[in-house]
Amino acid sequence: MTEIFVLAEHRQGQIRDITFEMLTKGKELAEKTNTDLTAVLLGKDVKEHAKTISEYAKKVFLVEDAKLENFNSEAYQKVLSNLTKEHKPLLTMIGHTSFGVDLAPSLAAALKLPLATDCIDLAFEGETLVITRQMYGGKVNVKAKVRKSESYIVTVRQAAFAAQKPNISGETMEVSSPLTEETTEKRFIEYVSPPPGGVDITAAEVLVGIGRGIKDESNMPMVEELAKALGGVLACSRPIVDKGWLSTDRQVGSSGKTVKPKLYIALGISGAFQHVLGMKNSDLIIAVNKDSNAPIFSFADYGVVDDLFKIAPALKDKIQELKG
Amino acid sequence: MDIIVCVKHVPETAEAEIKIDATGKAIEKTGLVFDINEWDDYALEEAVRIKEKSGGTVTAITVGPEDTDSTLRKCLARGADKAMRLTDPKFQGSDSYAIAKILQSTIKGLSFDLILTGALAGDDGYTMVGPILAELLGIQHATMVKKIEFDDGVAKVNRELEGGLEEKTEVKMPAVLSIQTGINEPRYVSIMGIRKAMKKEIKVLGLADIGLSESEVGETGSWIKVEKIFVPPAEKQAEFIKGSPEEVTTKIAEILKSRGLI
Amino acid sequence: MNFELNEEQKEIKRAVREFCEKEFTPELALEFDEKEEFPMALYKKAAKLGFTSMRLPEEYGGQGYGLLEDCIVVEEVCRVDPGLGVAVSLGNLMVPDILLKHGTEEQRKKYIPPLARGEAISAAAFSEPEHGSDITRMDTTAVKSGNEWVVNGSKEFITNAPVADTFIVLCQTDPNATPSHKGQSIFLMEKETPGMEATKLKRKMGIKPCITGSLALSDVKVPKSNLVGELNKGFYYALELFNETRIAVAAQAVGMSQGAFERAFQYAKTRKQFGSPIIKFQGVSFKLADMAIKIEAARMLTRKAAWLFDQGRLDPTATSMAKAFAGRAAMEVTDEAIQVYGGYGYLADYHVERFHRCAKITEIYEGTTEMQKLTIINRLMKTM
Ligand SMILES: Cc1cc2nc3c(=O)[nH]c(=O)nc-3n(C[C@H](O)[C@H](O)[C@H](O)COP(=O)(O)OP(=O)(O)OC[C@H]3O[C@@H](n4cnc5c(N)ncnc54)[C@H](O)[C@@H]3O)c2cc1C
Ligand SMILES: Cc1cc2nc3c(=O)[nH]c(=O)nc-3n(C[C@H](O)[C@H](O)[C@H](O)COP(=O)(O)OP(=O)(O)OC[C@H]3O[C@@H](n4cnc5c(N)ncnc54)[C@H](O)[C@@H]3O)c2cc1C
Repeated sequence: MTEIFVLAEHRQGQIRDITFEMLTKGKELAEKTNTDLTAVLLGKDVKEHAKTISEYAKKVFLVEDAKLENFNSEAYQKVLSNLTKEHKPLLTMIGHTSFGVDLAPSLAAALKLPLATDCIDLAFEGETLVITRQMYGGKVNVKAKVRKSESYIVTVRQAAFAAQKPNISGETMEVSSPLTEETTEKRFIEYVSPPPGGVDITAAEVLVGIGRGIKDESNMPMVEELAKALGGVLACSRPIVDKGWLSTDRQVGSSGKTVKPKLYIALGISGAFQHVLGMKNSDLIIAVNKDSNAPIFSFADYGVVDDLFKIAPALKDKIQELKG
Repeated sequence: MDIIVCVKHVPETAEAEIKIDATGKAIEKTGLVFDINEWDDYALEEAVRIKEKSGGTVTAITVGPEDTDSTLRKCLARGADKAMRLTDPKFQGSDSYAIAKILQSTIKGLSFDLILTGALAGDDGYTMVGPILAELLGIQHATMVKKIEFDDGVAKVNRELEGGLEEKTEVKMPAVLSIQTGINEPRYVSIMGIRKAMKKEIKVLGLADIGLSESEVGETGSWIKVEKIFVPPAEKQAEFIKGSPEEVTTKIAEILKSRGLI
Repeated sequence: MNFELNEEQKEIKRAVREFCEKEFTPELALEFDEKEEFPMALYKKAAKLGFTSMRLPEEYGGQGYGLLEDCIVVEEVCRVDPGLGVAVSLGNLMVPDILLKHGTEEQRKKYIPPLARGEAISAAAFSEPEHGSDITRMDTTAVKSGNEWVVNGSKEFITNAPVADTFIVLCQTDPNATPSHKGQSIFLMEKETPGMEATKLKRKMGIKPCITGSLALSDVKVPKSNLVGELNKGFYYALELFNETRIAVAAQAVGMSQGAFERAFQYAKTRKQFGSPIIKFQGVSFKLADMAIKIEAARMLTRKAAWLFDQGRLDPTATSMAKAFAGRAAMEVTDEAIQVYGGYGYLADYHVERFHRCAKITEIYEGTTEMQKLTIINRLMKTM
């Protein structure tokens, strides 16, 4: 009986959520395909993690090595290649994260196994893996077949599956590290934290999130005033940070902050999943976008299909009027 | 430093209305404006900046039909020295894996110190051309790159991680670096650039020139076969507030009030 | 015959379009329309990319293209915004053109490169309070005194006057010449020359970011070396110059029409009345078709005139036809654009009314439409 591998992801002592999300989906797939669910955990001094993860999977392969302390695709790829060759898992699930995208494609190419990236759903039709993923910034979904293979690799989008804790107590099996020497071509140096800014958007109760629809830096004062009128602060999508109009600590989303304010007003934000990941759990979401098909409207509680340059100033005036 | 930049010509869809075409496997492309993929735009700019600082050449390569020339010309106008287009009817239906193979079989014959790609393409979002290309070429890679420094045979890069964190990683050169947006501010195309670009030739190669077999490219050479595309089912749909700005904001104010937000 | 732009021209169009669409935001357009100020930062940015010196030779810092390529740029900037577009494209108006034809090498070297690079702004002063369409006599006089000319008079409606560094001024140098236009000459003047004073004209109908002013000249001392070309040839130089620059005005008109049309077209697709998008009503869609016809016709006339000029076969009839037709088309198209928008079109925030206000100037400056018709008919009378 073959198995389904889930590569556990952890960083700075924390197991990342994607691990449990994949383990949950992996369990479902394992049941359907009559295979075993195996978590693969690589690291240094991570027995605690192994224990936590063993509550989600039947088996945990634990590979401990000082060389695996921090993620390094060169080292990870060697270890995973060996395990894959030896166990021939039906499927290996890796997070579609900055770790996963650095690892999965070259691993797949090296093993000549087909890879499907950024999957939001997975199913087996007979022996064929069928995946769902998105294109055009989430405007359409794609259902695709993965080339038939004995073994598949996928990367899984964060938050695509909800994590559920099953009633399992799996066993941890220590596997000796195949790394005999330090990796020579790639070396982790250090983590770099962004310089702390003045505002902590994760602590704000009201956030006015602005996106590329804001068009020009000269429009910033207008939205700033709206945020002020609402007693909140500005947050933004990634392009605003890329352009340097707001500092990195204002970015909401997968590569920014996760926020959960009482009110999130999204102005000119299309709703790409990387952004939505960071704000979808806000208590109340109001989106203003001139495109009625913008994905943001599937996450918002209220939507306004209109020009933000009309709505935002009018809203500011209205709030100020009410506040007197 | 001789740098190769892999670029893709993609439709701009953030503000466009998207329709699914008659095959049900692709979107209707007529009426969409095509341009260089956003991530590749940053990659090209980074390559040109490296060249401006330390000399060398920049070669832009794309896999695509003839109309992708406009993206290549844009690269030339923005500072690339050479451009190559890999075009063949047999390339149709290639996914990122097949594209990476096509690129690899071309690039392996070129001399280079560094290859830059975008982290992903805004249309299909596969996020895999760069690292697969590296693996096939037998060299290292780093993805989600937001900063590059060079030091004695290595590139020290900052990779973007989740939650605002970055990691600094050292990669042996030559390497493939996949560039994340925000690494720089891409320049506009200038008239001087266009004049220079028009004097340069775009080299066109087909399947026969790159030494791959038909089965290695196109749909048969791909991992992924699209079955159908569809508009994502809305998990939830916002309640739309309609009317004039006055009416809309009055309604919003009521909602905020009812929730004690004002 | 070939009616298509070549690849290079298409690239030029794309580059300008990308620049303008990112830089000329609707909000900026509204802001400058309101504050009536020259968009200096934008002008410099556009100049740095070569957009404002298309038809100036490379040896003077220009791009070495022809008038046709210049028209492509002018059309595109005005398409994105008529006010900012005109302001940016007229930043270095006429001075380089006249110096290239009639200036000395010294004058060219001194004045053209800064204008080509966007480091300086120029103005061309012909019109006077009493002389607009008819400039055969100038009240502004230049009287020789030793090695200098002393200029007195006043000029009206001078584009860029309050912000310009370099001026050309048409003066009466021989008051007794008959006919009087045979006694006119053009002089170069630099800003802040004692006796020169420019005042800004406010509350224009349109093209508000393009600053217009009056110029008062009192005992302005101009060195002899600032005479452009030959003495008493100024009038002829002016006519010759207009035959070139009027083609660019036609391109402004085409761009404004195109911009208003595209907005109206998009609006008609989304605005619903009686349960359907208004573009489904023939009353609206035929309007749009008529607009498209007029724009295309205007564009073809403009490109033909520019092409003739670039071939060295300047044809005043073609120039005047292009300017007269494109100007009228712009008025009609922008008017209909407002109509398609209904009440919203009447509001500044919806932008099309600004296109309409701006379009009017193309029927006035650099020779009114009536003057164009005069040119056309005079020439037809001679040849038919
Ligand atoms: C690895 C990775 C990590 C990422 N991390 C993040 C992240 O953490 N956070 C993040 O936000 N993004 C992130 N992104 C980028 C993400 O994929 C999108 O590109 C980004 O979120 C888009 O931002 P946007 O919605 O502002 O812009 P766009 O997608 O361009 O949308 C602009 C929207 O504005 C609307 N609009 C335009 N004008 C107006 C107007 N006048 N009035 C009203 N509406 C208007 C348009 O209809 C459009 O929907 C990441 C991408 C990658 C690859
Ligand atoms: C915004 C702006 C910018 C300008 N920039 C410049 C500039 O930079 N430099 C410059 O020198 N000038 C400039 N002008 C002036 C412009 O060129 C003149 O306004 C134009 O030539 C018309 O002159 P006028 O206003 O004196 O009208 P008039 O000549 O008085 O004409 C009034 C009306 O009579 C008509 N008319 C006159 N004569 C005849 C005729 N023989 N047959 C039929 N109809 C006739 C005209 O067509 C017009 O309809 C500018 C004007 C404006 C409004």
